[in-house]
Amino acid sequence: MNQNPAASPSAVSETDAGRNYSLSVITGFALLGLLITSIWDFGGFTNQLQAFYYANAHKGNYKLFTTVSILLEGKMSTLLAMSFGAGIFLLVQKKASNLSIDGMDAHIRKQIWLIILGLFVGLILLFPNDLLFPFGIVGILLFAFAQLPAKNLFIVAILCCLIYAGKNYWYYADDQSDYKAYVAVKSIEKKIAADSAARSKKLGYDIKKDSASQKAILALKIKADSLVKKKDTLTSKQAGEKAKWEGLVKSLKYDSSKVAKDRKSMQSGYKKMWYYVKDKVQYKESYWLYSIGVWEYASAMLLGMALLAIGFFHRRFASSTYLMLALVFIAIGVAMAFYRIHTTTLRITDYEKFINGYAIPYNQLLPFEKILMATGYASLLIWLLRLNTMSWLMDIFSAVGKMALTNYMIQVIIAAIWFYGYGLGYYGMFEQWELYAAAAEIALVQIVFSVFWLRYYKMGPLEWGLSNLVYQQKTTNKL
Amino acid sequence: MDQHTSSEISASAQIGPAPVSVADRIKSIDAIRGFALLGILMMNIPGFGMNWDFWYNIFSGPRSGYDYLTFKGVLVFFEGTMRGLFSMLFGAGMVLFMTNKKQVPGQPSVAIYYYRRLLWLVFFGVINAFVILWFGDILFFYGLFGMILFAFRKTAPKWLLIIGLSLIACAMIQNAWRYSETREKRTNYLEAITAKKEKKKLSEEQQAAIATWQQMAKNEKPDTAMTNERMRKMHSGYTTIFKYFIPQNAQGEAWEAYFGIFDMLSMMFIGMALFGWGFFNNQLSTSTYTMWMLIGYGIGIPFGYFLFNQEFVSFASRAAYVDRWLTNPNAYSEFRRLFITIGHASLIMLIYRLKIAPWLMRALSAVGQMAFTNYLMQSIICTFFFYGYGAGYYGKLYFHQIYYVVAAVWVFQLIFSSIWLRYFRFGPFEWVWRSLTYWKMQPMKL
Repeated sequence: MNQNPAASPSAVSETDAGRNYSLSVITGFALLGLLITSIWDFGGFTNQLQAFYYANAHKGNYKLFTTVSILLEGKMSTLLAMSFGAGIFLLVQKKASNLSIDGMDAHIRKQIWLIILGLFVGLILLFPNDLLFPFGIVGILLFAFAQLPAKNLFIVAILCCLIYAGKNYWYYADDQSDYKAYVAVKSIEKKIAADSAARSKKLGYDIKKDSASQKAILALKIKADSLVKKKDTLTSKQAGEKAKWEGLVKSLKYDSSKVAKDRKSMQSGYKKMWYYVKDKVQYKESYWLYSIGVWEYASAMLLGMALLAIGFFHRRFASSTYLMLALVFIAIGVAMAFYRIHTTTLRITDYEKFINGYAIPYNQLLPFEKILMATGYASLLIWLLRLNTMSWLMDIFSAVGKMALTNYMIQVIIAAIWFYGYGLGYYGMFEQWELYAAAAEIALVQIVFSVFWLRYYKMGPLEWGLSNLVYQQKTTNKL
Repeated sequence: MDQHTSSEISASAQIGPAPVSVADRIKSIDAIRGFALLGILMMNIPGFGMNWDFWYNIFSGPRSGYDYLTFKGVLVFFEGTMRGLFSMLFGAGMVLFMTNKKQVPGQPSVAIYYYRRLLWLVFFGVINAFVILWFGDILFFYGLFGMILFAFRKTAPKWLLIIGLSLIACAMIQNAWRYSETREKRTNYLEAITAKKEKKKLSEEQQAAIATWQQMAKNEKPDTAMTNERMRKMHSGYTTIFKYFIPQNAQGEAWEAYFGIFDMLSMMFIGMALFGWGFFNNQLSTSTYTMWMLIGYGIGIPFGYFLFNQEFVSFASRAAYVDRWLTNPNAYSEFRRLFITIGHASLIMLIYRLKIAPWLMRALSAVGQMAFTNYLMQSIICTFFFYGYGAGYYGKLYFHQIYYVVAAVWVFQLIFSSIWLRYFRFGPFEWVWRSLTYWKMQPMKL
């Protein structure tokens, strides 16, 4: 690393250049890949529609969707978080030298600006699955770990990943106990029904055949009968428990009216759409980030920091090592993803059966799936870099990755204008494959823009603006 | 910043290898912190020991009697101000922490330690909420928001004040926004009702508008079934209370960190500004402190009194209140709070510098020096006093009676802190916190 005084300056700069190149290739790859799944949210291929494909005949659309889900969903944001984490490590290590502000300050200020940009993407552009806000927050939280040795970084990363997996289990356990309560209420309901049937039978018999005096005696007996005293409706608590589970099962199922309502709201004007999306955005930025997001992104960022510290991005290891890591990790990850897809189908079609049959939730392995596959992709890319093949492709990825922030904003803005109601309003009007075509279109714009911009400038426009803001000095961006 | 090279600092000669030696502490800051810390309990105690329907009972009860008077006093003079003062001192403490320490070559930088310290504070906040089971914990938020302050440690006081005031403006906008949503619901309801009276056929939206407003009106009254359920749970064992609190504390932490950020962060910034001007370390003149006390109380208290009465109007009839005010007067309570907070701080500074009650100031600064221990201790004492697995006084005392508990805790903490600091450098929890931050056992004995 650049703090090692023994290494000669030229050697240092060479490995640093290599490291920076691999990081930007990985970032660019992840950023373009991210679009392929985030276009689902922009274009209206919602969870509801996905549930439809899960529950019905597994034909072409299902296959296309699950393939994308297995290969890309969640992995690209994890990969981005990994390279982001590596970036934290680099920035914090940076010496003050000729800058008025040292790396520590620069880091925190950068994160605050990212948070503000993230709020813009979430609450103004109305994209709930924004990454800048959580990255900024977690980036600040992880500052305390920036100078830990690699081994400790790995330990903390694994710990975070385990907590993330544990949280998934925790929520499943909640569902399980909801189900238990539901079953108990159901049996009470049955008993009430049986009791009242028995009672009316008894009454009916008595009233028809007996004389007046016997009737009076019987009436007294009935009064004393415990069956009569019992309430024959559920208490409000029991009714609530029943409704909770039934609502949960229903929410998983495809509901065409919900899809139509969602489409209508997303195609309406800005104000209506704002009120519709606002809650989702705020939920994502607060409770989701608190309960899940922070563990998900922290594990990925810490892993990125650890990998950087052991020289993974410096291409320190042999080509065969990278290839092996790639194959093994991707293979394990895909196997986990298959489990996830299989169990998701069960969960959506019959959650009651699922909860009776499975001790762990459908997403129990998801944290590991994401991290393993992301590391696998990173290894694959570095392996390709070491082989020096397809350098044109790598240059493209690198150009996109170098101006990651600019490109992220470009893809979000283009997609929002294309699909949302305040723009062209194509939300929900594209087939799944058409959405991927739209993603390719946007990717093309980004690639062309990045390659040409970097011919004339050192940094992307937003990167340049941000660095001027952070370091509070005006620098020239011309090459 | 060299204001704190004042005479107090060199008073004590105890300079050891500890991260912050006793000598470096500024006594006046500790005294105010101690005052704020004790005061916080006044606001927290209903949360520990009163069932939630007490609001309803006081607001719908007679406007006389001990309960009412206590309630009035607490709300007018103290509501939000102690948390505000504590936040201010937290901001000031951040600046102190960063300027007090010298970089040791070969060790992680001071900034890294600052962030580790805050991350541990977040962790302690989680313990306070999920193990000690205090739903009103603030450590969690202080840990998080403190991480933002770092970037502003060198900012000029003037700008800090501007940032703090803008954050207060944000809080007011937030409040006004929510109120306008209520007003909109009210307008929709009134329109729907008029339509109904004219025997027009109601649209689905109009029916929904009527239902929404009626539900809101209903929600204001406590639900007896829920109240009893809560009473029963709070008098049960640890597991029941734990299960009861987990989901709501998790929600609370997440939403409060997101929506409540302006409340705490604004005061932290203003605290940093005041610290920069030397307000907390006895740098201003007696007349300045007197002036600020008069301004603070003079504006804050009458305003607080007015708002307090409006609460009653609002409670008696939400509808009349919403029809009366275009914007919620309550939105301005941020100002009331700021002024009274400054009044409190100035008053303590005056007592401190005029040496009116030196013994009390010494005891208060002992409490303030062990603020972290004392804060957690309040949680521990109160949960054990009120919750079912302890003495189980939850919901059993009158509103004014819970303040006897407050007084008892105060006396205990004043004495305990003074004695403890005769023998030890830090409070017990401070010691744990420091040892964790530096990942090394810290010396404890004096």
